Amino acid sequence: MRWSPKAAGLIAAALLACGPGDSTGRTSGGAVDDVGRPIRLTAPPARIVSLSPATTELLFTLGAGHRVVGRTRWCQDPPAARDVPSVGDGLAPNVEAILARRPDLVAFYRSAANAAAIERLESAGVATVTLALDRLADLVRVTRLLGRVLGDSLRADSLIEGLEVALAAPATARAGQAPRVLLLAWDNPPIVIGGGSFLSEIVSLAGGHNVFDELDRPSATVSIETIAARDPDVVLVAAGTETASLATRPEWRVVRAIRERRFAVVQGSEFEHPSFRASAAVRQLARVLEGWRR
Amino acid sequence: MIRWLVLAAAALVALVAAVAVGPARFPLVDVWRAVLGDGEPTTVAIVRDLRAPRALLAFCVGGSLAVTGASLQALVRNPLADPYLLGLSGGAGVGAVAAIALRLGGVWGVPIAATVGALVAIAVVYRLAVVTGSVLDTKVLLLGGVVVGAFAIAAMGAIMAVSPAPQVRNALLWILGSFSGSSWQAVVLFGAYAVLPLGALYSLSRPLDLLSLGEDPARFLGADVERLKRVLYFGASLLTAAAVSVSGIIGFVGLVVPHAVRIVWGHIHHALLPAAFVLGGTLMVVADGLARTAFAPVELPVGVVTALIGVPVFVLLVRRWQG
Amino acid sequence: MAGLIFEARGVSYRYPGAAAPAVRRVDLTVEAGELVAIVGPNGSGKTTLLNVLLGVRVPSEGDARVAGRAAAQWPKRDLARLIGVVAQREEPAFPLRARQVVLFGRYPHLGPLGAPRDVDDRAVMRALERCDALDLGDRWVATLSGGEWQRVRVARALAQEPRALVLDEPTTNLDVRHEMEVLELVAELVRVEGLAGLLVTHQVNLAARFVDRLVVLDRGAARAAGAPADVLTREVLEEVFGWPVEVGSWRGTPQFVPLRRGER
Repeated sequence: MRWSPKAAGLIAAALLACGPGDSTGRTSGGAVDDVGRPIRLTAPPARIVSLSPATTELLFTLGAGHRVVGRTRWCQDPPAARDVPSVGDGLAPNVEAILARRPDLVAFYRSAANAAAIERLESAGVATVTLALDRLADLVRVTRLLGRVLGDSLRADSLIEGLEVALAAPATARAGQAPRVLLLAWDNPPIVIGGGSFLSEIVSLAGGHNVFDELDRPSATVSIETIAARDPDVVLVAAGTETASLATRPEWRVVRAIRERRFAVVQGSEFEHPSFRASAAVRQLARVLEGWRR
Repeated sequence: MIRWLVLAAAALVALVAAVAVGPARFPLVDVWRAVLGDGEPTTVAIVRDLRAPRALLAFCVGGSLAVTGASLQALVRNPLADPYLLGLSGGAGVGAVAAIALRLGGVWGVPIAATVGALVAIAVVYRLAVVTGSVLDTKVLLLGGVVVGAFAIAAMGAIMAVSPAPQVRNALLWILGSFSGSSWQAVVLFGAYAVLPLGALYSLSRPLDLLSLGEDPARFLGADVERLKRVLYFGASLLTAAAVSVSGIIGFVGLVVPHAVRIVWGHIHHALLPAAFVLGGTLMVVADGLARTAFAPVELPVGVVTALIGVPVFVLLVRRWQG
Repeated sequence: MAGLIFEARGVSYRYPGAAAPAVRRVDLTVEAGELVAIVGPNGSGKTTLLNVLLGVRVPSEGDARVAGRAAAQWPKRDLARLIGVVAQREEPAFPLRARQVVLFGRYPHLGPLGAPRDVDDRAVMRALERCDALDLGDRWVATLSGGEWQRVRVARALAQEPRALVLDEPTTNLDVRHEMEVLELVAELVRVEGLAGLLVTHQVNLAARFVDRLVVLDRGAARAAGAPADVLTREVLEEVFGWPVEVGSWRGTPQFVPLRRGER
């Protein structure tokens, strides 16, 4: 097995933290969200406004797509989600637009920018759930929580099991050194993806190693000097990044992988937010990284 | 004389330290060998192609902003003037955000758009402040700067509301200021460009002294006041726009450094401007060094560091001035 | 005439967009060694006329010359070596010492980058001394009294080593002793140094004590011009200032007293 011990360990920890005893609960009674707030629902929600792309996709995956009555304009997955009316932005959202969808549950991404909207919705009698969904380990925890809230824990459990199997499978037959990968999100100032993002886990699962894996945040501004010193083997960028002009910039040419145009390009929204398509992302990335294995 | 020597020594120490220290830690021996072009290639490249041009660019930009601030303080006869007073930062911000929202790609897309935005703001504010013929009203100049700045903030908000959020957030990070785009190319370009406005401002140091008395007294002491105001305005603005294009918007250097220099060197621009250039450059090199290393490997926006240093220093200076 | 510094022939000036001209067909000359005043009530066009004479504004009619050349065509720096002006309003935006302010009077003589030379330092010392202001040199100007500040500014005008000295309302905010001190200084400089002196003021009595000639402005036009004894009649003053006055004389100089209602 060439699983990253760290990622595997975290997923296992998340599984343990939720505990097997919860999986049979049929209401959300007693459940708390990722900021420790109790979810005030007496019955499974029928009208949900989802304020982050990851949550929207997860609700559809959990078979609750028909209960989603509002989404952000960034929620494009799965394609069926585009038929749901948009309420605008997901951070500091428009409370009036949300209330107009007459929701009984609003799912927020965890951010200080959302505090005011959460208070207003709660005082208007609408239940909220705030989810910190950044990593695959979070996906396991949040899936379990949402399964419980939706009253369908069995489905959630089987999804989680399926994900584990899928993520374990492709990592078996690799040899050689794991390529060291730079995940470059922006060039000026240089913003890299850190270990706090699911992308770092995906790189590990695909047999690579994020050179900024030790940063516990999803992304960070760093110096080109730091990148050069860590000397990645390959630079992973999203499709559409102007790699050609990047490789001509004198300050970036100090980084060997950029000077030698060792770019790996990945495409697809499975790289934009954590989802159960992570296994597909891992497979795609594993194929891409295979070419850069030393 | 001693104060000039102290200043020069501080500048030298800051520059040497900026080349010697960084988020990638090397023994000083390796740095010295790298300066001479010897040693492990990545170390040599980091020292010679990243740290050295970055330190020099930070020095030139910091110096230019300080000179601009000092000149504008004399132009509007207000000690609170800074390089971004005249709506320039707002224009640059709109340009940068618009470039990203419209996906004007290329590595130079954002800097060029920011410079264009700054130039538009400069032109609009100038047009507002020109009354009857070619007379430049500095009070209207101030007012125009505030109004254009407010409009720019609104425009940025509007663009951000309808654009992909992460990209615009990255644009804002760029606006907050960073020298991560530094290269010898950028040093040479900025240096070649800045020499002219810097020289123009310095050659006006005597008329600047006179202008601080008021426009009438300056005129009767031989200053061609209208021409002086125009050259000052465009020299200072173009210099700031160039600084924005290589490093975003970095506050407080242009405000705090001239004041610190005024306390030590007085208000005669002949000494004030060169001292402001060296101290501004030194402060910027130190601030960028802290931005790179304080929380390494994470880098802070350099504008955050200059504000964190600048605001307490400014409070102390103001208290001292009052006392 | 070599000594003729200011020479205005029929000058008028109309501000852009204004219905009536602010200055109407005024004649005025000032020669070396004489002190001339422009007097008149507030808004009579005194400062506008001065700006035309100094080349700041181009006359819409007539001809304003300085030392034989159209005033507006003088390069500012050359003009500043010819005329020292103590302007009405001046407020340094930054703290300066009196000596620095006086050194500014040498700027028209310095190149753009050259440092002040010995000759400049000597001129500054001489000017301060001449104005009895040597002890003020190291003071911050903000700490100077009104009279001291005026003396420093006259010293600066002297440091320009000009051929003419112009003062716009130099005594407005001064008490009796200080206004007399300033005007005694100016009169002496004109007499001893042979400067052409031009004084703009609404203090007619004060001007009458010191000047050789004066021009009385009324709504932009010269109501009367000549020696104080010929010009300052009851008729002229009542008409120009719009208030009943009685005119007396002190050692041959006319001095007027405004009357209270019912005093005549």
